[in-house]
Amino acid sequence: MSEVMNRRELLEKAGRGVTLLGLGGLAAYLLSKSDAEGAWLIDPSKCINSRLGAVGIPACERCADSCVLEFSAVRAVNDHAKCGRCYICPAYFDIRSPVNAEGLPSKKLCPRDAIERKPIGWVDPYDPANNYYEYIIDETRCNGCGKCVMGCKEPAGLSSIRLEVRYDLCVDCNRCSIALACPHEAYDRRPIAPGDKQDEHA
Amino acid sequence: MTSWPDRRDDKNTMNKYRLLRTIRAQGHGPAQFAHALRGIAFGGDQTLYAVGDKKVVVFDPRGEPLRTWATDKPGHAIAVDPNGSVYVGQDGQVEISDNHGRQRRTWRDPQHMGLITAIAFSGDSILLADAKARRIHVYDREKNFQRDIGHENRMRGFVIPNRHLDLAVDAQGVLHAPSSGQHRVVRFKLDGERLGHVGRFGGPDPSGFSGCCNPTNLALFDDGRFAVTVKAPPEVKIFTSEGALLGRIKAAAFDANCKNMDIAIDKQERIYVVDTERLHVLVFVPVSETATQPATAAPTETESP
Repeated sequence: MSEVMNRRELLEKAGRGVTLLGLGGLAAYLLSKSDAEGAWLIDPSKCINSRLGAVGIPACERCADSCVLEFSAVRAVNDHAKCGRCYICPAYFDIRSPVNAEGLPSKKLCPRDAIERKPIGWVDPYDPANNYYEYIIDETRCNGCGKCVMGCKEPAGLSSIRLEVRYDLCVDCNRCSIALACPHEAYDRRPIAPGDKQDEHA
Repeated sequence: MTSWPDRRDDKNTMNKYRLLRTIRAQGHGPAQFAHALRGIAFGGDQTLYAVGDKKVVVFDPRGEPLRTWATDKPGHAIAVDPNGSVYVGQDGQVEISDNHGRQRRTWRDPQHMGLITAIAFSGDSILLADAKARRIHVYDREKNFQRDIGHENRMRGFVIPNRHLDLAVDAQGVLHAPSSGQHRVVRFKLDGERLGHVGRFGGPDPSGFSGCCNPTNLALFDDGRFAVTVKAPPEVKIFTSEGALLGRIKAAAFDANCKNMDIAIDKQERIYVVDTERLHVLVFVPVSETATQPATAAPTETESP
């Protein structure tokens, strides 16, 4: 008799387990479905590193520090159409550092050396200021600390650099830890049509 | 409002300046600027002409508004010729009127004129600094195009990431223009021959220029000295004609976000500077060696002693 009861108990438990698993799966599916229709975005007009008017202050580094990922999903992006291709770029160089023998600032601004400076065309050996320079951000090194964004901001620069969340890296936390840490509420979850995340990044 | 940190050494034996007057021009009144104040210039009678928004405002030497008139397009530069005609530089054209804004006519030259951000006169020449073409156009008094200056180089023009080109011509007919992206002031003869340049990137050294693109604007003294404005942090620097630093008017007087601050010097060698954020014109006077005023006074209204 007790063996029959044990079997019944076993079947009941197994049934409950299957039901719970099914419900859990359904919830996870619905959650992932809702996540696919939204993404975390940074509003450059709110981010203190890019917001015009806020100058002479250190860069906010929360995007680099607060992400759940070991290496943040945020990157600095240079809008090349807006970039001045300056000889002395205040996002590339630490323009307050002493001038070296070549007449350039002796230190770089990026702590991870994630910006590459490339002359466009040949360099005039007698006058290197007689040239334009391209500034390319290496996303494998950039962790979105925002120092270059602050350095490039008007009036010092042309505000061509901004921070962006890279969707292929972002794990889409339901409550983004950077958004929670952002002191300026620059993070916003916006609806995005399915498939747009890949398109945007491409 | 935040201000730029200034860690530079200022043990100076240099010329010192103090704020004499603030010509407050911001507002929505007929003789005020609501959004932009971009250029200033002196008339022959030492009245100050200011342009911004879509209007010209004329101030008397004490800074009181005398008259104002509307312009066709937003004004980016202003100059008064020896006959008293007022030239307003705009996008694609120059608006010309008498010194009361009457008899207005528009001068266009679509083949050459882009954004005119500075105007000067020298002898029979009219010089227009074009921030779009990154060069200076020279015309005769009949408005016939003569030549361009500053484009015959590898960069095909001045290097101005700040998208503003200023100019000034001295009594000897030497043209001075900042090439801000190269951190220098370049000099030319009016026939286009390049004479050389002064200035260099200086980093924290105040005798040079810092940032991406400085100096942005300049004005000349009669004796060959010149004064420039720089941005980030905003400042005025005064140099000998050889480029040795003589004096500084430091950031505290200006809004930290100022850029492309126009500058003019009157016959008493007072320096007039546009605060492009607060839409004021600040007037600075040299402090005599015996005076005790600080080099940079707070931006409050003061009178000369």
